[in-house]
Amino acid sequence: MQILTVDSISKVYGSKKNGKQYQALKNITFQVNKGEFIGVMGSSGSGKTTLLNILGSIDKPTTGSFEMAGNEIALLGKKELANHRMKNIGFIFQDYNLLETMTLKENILLPLALQGASTEQMEEKLLPLITDLGIKEVANKYPYEVSGGEQQRAAACRALITKPKLILADEPTGNLDSKSSKDLLNLLTYINKEYNATILLVTHDVFAASYCEKILFIRDGEIYNELYSGENKKQFFDSIIDVMTVLGGERK
Amino acid sequence: MKLSTMALRNIQLNFKKYVMYFFSLTFCVFTAYSFLALIQNEEIKQALTYDDRYQALLTSFGVIIMIFVLFFLLSSNNSFIKARKKEISTYALFGMTNAKIGKLLFLETMIIGVATLIIGIASGVFFSKLIAMILLTITLETFTGNISFYIDPISILLTVILFLIIFSIMGLSGLRVISKFQLVDLFKGAKLSEGKTKGSYIGLLFSLTLIGTGYSLATMLDDPERISNFTLLILLLVILGTYMFFWVGLPKLIHLLKNKKDAYYQGDNLIATSFLSHRVITISSTMATIAVLSAVGTTAIATGYTLYSNVENNTYDTIGYDMYYYWADENVLDSVYDTFDMYGTTVTDQHTVTLYETSPKTNNVVGGNIHYNFGPDNYFRIYSLSEFWALTSIAKKDIPLITLEEGKALYARNYYSNDLEEAIIGHELHFSEKTLEITSIINEDIGTFGALHTIVVNDSDYESLRESGDISTRGSNAHVFNYSNALSSRDLNNDLTAVLRGNVGSYRTAYTHFSEAMETFGLVCFIGFFMSVVFILMTASLLYFRQVVAAEEEKHQFQMLRKIGMDSSTEKKVITKRLFPIFFIPLVIGIIHSIFAMKAADTMIFTQIISVDNSYPTVLAFSAVMYTVYAVIYGVFYYITKSQYRRIVR
Repeated sequence: MQILTVDSISKVYGSKKNGKQYQALKNITFQVNKGEFIGVMGSSGSGKTTLLNILGSIDKPTTGSFEMAGNEIALLGKKELANHRMKNIGFIFQDYNLLETMTLKENILLPLALQGASTEQMEEKLLPLITDLGIKEVANKYPYEVSGGEQQRAAACRALITKPKLILADEPTGNLDSKSSKDLLNLLTYINKEYNATILLVTHDVFAASYCEKILFIRDGEIYNELYSGENKKQFFDSIIDVMTVLGGERK
Repeated sequence: MKLSTMALRNIQLNFKKYVMYFFSLTFCVFTAYSFLALIQNEEIKQALTYDDRYQALLTSFGVIIMIFVLFFLLSSNNSFIKARKKEISTYALFGMTNAKIGKLLFLETMIIGVATLIIGIASGVFFSKLIAMILLTITLETFTGNISFYIDPISILLTVILFLIIFSIMGLSGLRVISKFQLVDLFKGAKLSEGKTKGSYIGLLFSLTLIGTGYSLATMLDDPERISNFTLLILLLVILGTYMFFWVGLPKLIHLLKNKKDAYYQGDNLIATSFLSHRVITISSTMATIAVLSAVGTTAIATGYTLYSNVENNTYDTIGYDMYYYWADENVLDSVYDTFDMYGTTVTDQHTVTLYETSPKTNNVVGGNIHYNFGPDNYFRIYSLSEFWALTSIAKKDIPLITLEEGKALYARNYYSNDLEEAIIGHELHFSEKTLEITSIINEDIGTFGALHTIVVNDSDYESLRESGDISTRGSNAHVFNYSNALSSRDLNNDLTAVLRGNVGSYRTAYTHFSEAMETFGLVCFIGFFMSVVFILMTASLLYFRQVVAAEEEKHQFQMLRKIGMDSSTEKKVITKRLFPIFFIPLVIGIIHSIFAMKAADTMIFTQIISVDNSYPTVLAFSAVMYTVYAVIYGVFYYITKSQYRRIVR
């Protein structure tokens, strides 16, 4: 079942008048099926963050269309867009981006609170999730009072609590040491398998990408290559490195 | 890059944050210049009768305002520097010495300072004529003249010197703040956790008890003397209570709010409340100060305005007529009428009464700890009821129509205490053939005409007392007048007093009383206005600055919230709920304080000035006007801050 259909999206920054146009994305086309764990790779400046912003409906494409959960996103109004983000998309950011002013529990409940869910509903959804991800004990603490791993899991809970159609992870391992990276990626894999969540991971980290089932490589705003993980993880890892070397080497 | 270019660029970059501060500082310069120029304005001195009092009032309040401005600038300057800690530490990291950073900040202060001086003084000069006209219009009922435009070099010089001193002190204290910075703090990162507290029930209750005690003292004490003895205690209780409330009480209230899960877990409430509870510690002192200053400001302006608005009523309450005189020479009445004719004045009421007195045997009255000497040395002014009615009916104030049965007497006196009232009711006056009992007392001095005590008796009693020879007269008359343009013609009043002075035993004109009161209370109003505006501007600009700095720190949180799916209407709600309490709570507490302060002021002053049975509602009605004005100005700052906050987090 297709969750996301992206049809020849382009994004141009700057206006035609002053001639300083910059094409961030060119004719991107791909599909995402339910339960997939997809990686988007590219070096900095390749346009992957732009793509993520468009998929997250924070930014709009210049041309092209994409459909998600049966909605043509370009046609949605501001209010509907916010609603769409709230219902269909879960975000996991670099640095987790938990609100320092709220306890973990409040952070996790935030999307539900914004939807205007009732208190019982919230508690009902919250409990199994935090129990499963092992942060029940620290739920009433503030982010700066708990470990990085616990913050990660709280951020994951927040992304999961609305049962979104798609989870977007933006360089989640960007600031982490290898141990924490591994924990987070295992966590994402766990979510992917156990909750059948569809995850789109944007990264430039080869190690992080090797956890995905499928990888899209972006160069200069275009899809350059696609890779599928086979049985052999080591081989997958090596082929990612090969592609990345080519990508990096050919940059002007 | 030179230091001066750097300083200029810093100001440019931080302009949005400084703009309010700049504005309020400019207004301070404007106020200082205006006051100095007004003090030295010869034309005003000539126009005002009581010019020494005018100068003394302006000078002393000018000094008070300037001292406040100095302290406020010092504290806000320090918080500006602290807000730039990161930037300053970066300078230090790249090898700038503290002295050089100090010099940079000093330069910035001076550039801003000189700019405010120029704009402030320029607008002071530009509006000087207007300000002088406003002052004269509110203090002089009859002012129709013109004031010439003037530039006062001495005032300019004094203002410049005054503010250069203030700016230098600011620069020095800034240096002290910098020297306390530790470079290592830079690397610790600016975590949002500014220390949070759950507050405490005991603190909340204690602060409310303190404020409540102060309030009840202010309302319960109904004796002017006792309340002025307790003023300091009331002030201490309330101020301490206010600070306590903001330090520990408010955090507790917010914490309680958080426990109401159903309301708290609404998206906007959740975000706004948690933001607020994290900020409340750092801003509690500012909020408390603002509450106290708002109380002072609103009380000052409300008092001034109430007094000012009641000058005319008070004049007639005190004097009763447009003019009266007694113990006059024969020819005075003719001269008075000649003067009226000269000005084309119509006499609307005129009454002449022969003054009678009586000295019954009676005991002294002890009311409280005051002895009222009723002995034979003190005579009573005595009126028959009908004569008293004749006098009171043309008086320009409301005097209840009294009736008296035979054998009873009414005692009239201006200002009596409750103790005296209790003691004197039932007191007996022994005349040669008769004994009358004082059965009522009124707060009235009409008809006194030089006597200490006045009694009014029933007409038939009056006749029999006259027959028995208890009443005597020295053959002198008292004349009371009401006439047109009584309060508007200064020349008429001057000529009338010239006729009366020296030729009558005593006289009073409404005009003299009225113009004196107008000058004093008009000036109080004028100063109160400037003081309130300085207070509002200073405190509101500090709040603005704090919120703008906070907005920059909260910016990325808003970005994140938007990604989660916060729509723009929720965002608006969050910002409103986040900012509104910070502005609203201090204002409301300040106004509540002021309402109780007005009650104390009512006991001390207004009861004697406003002659209504219960003057407090009247006082509150007049105060409400000023509270509204204050709240509206304050509200404008709230909206400016809100729109700026919204712009930053977008």
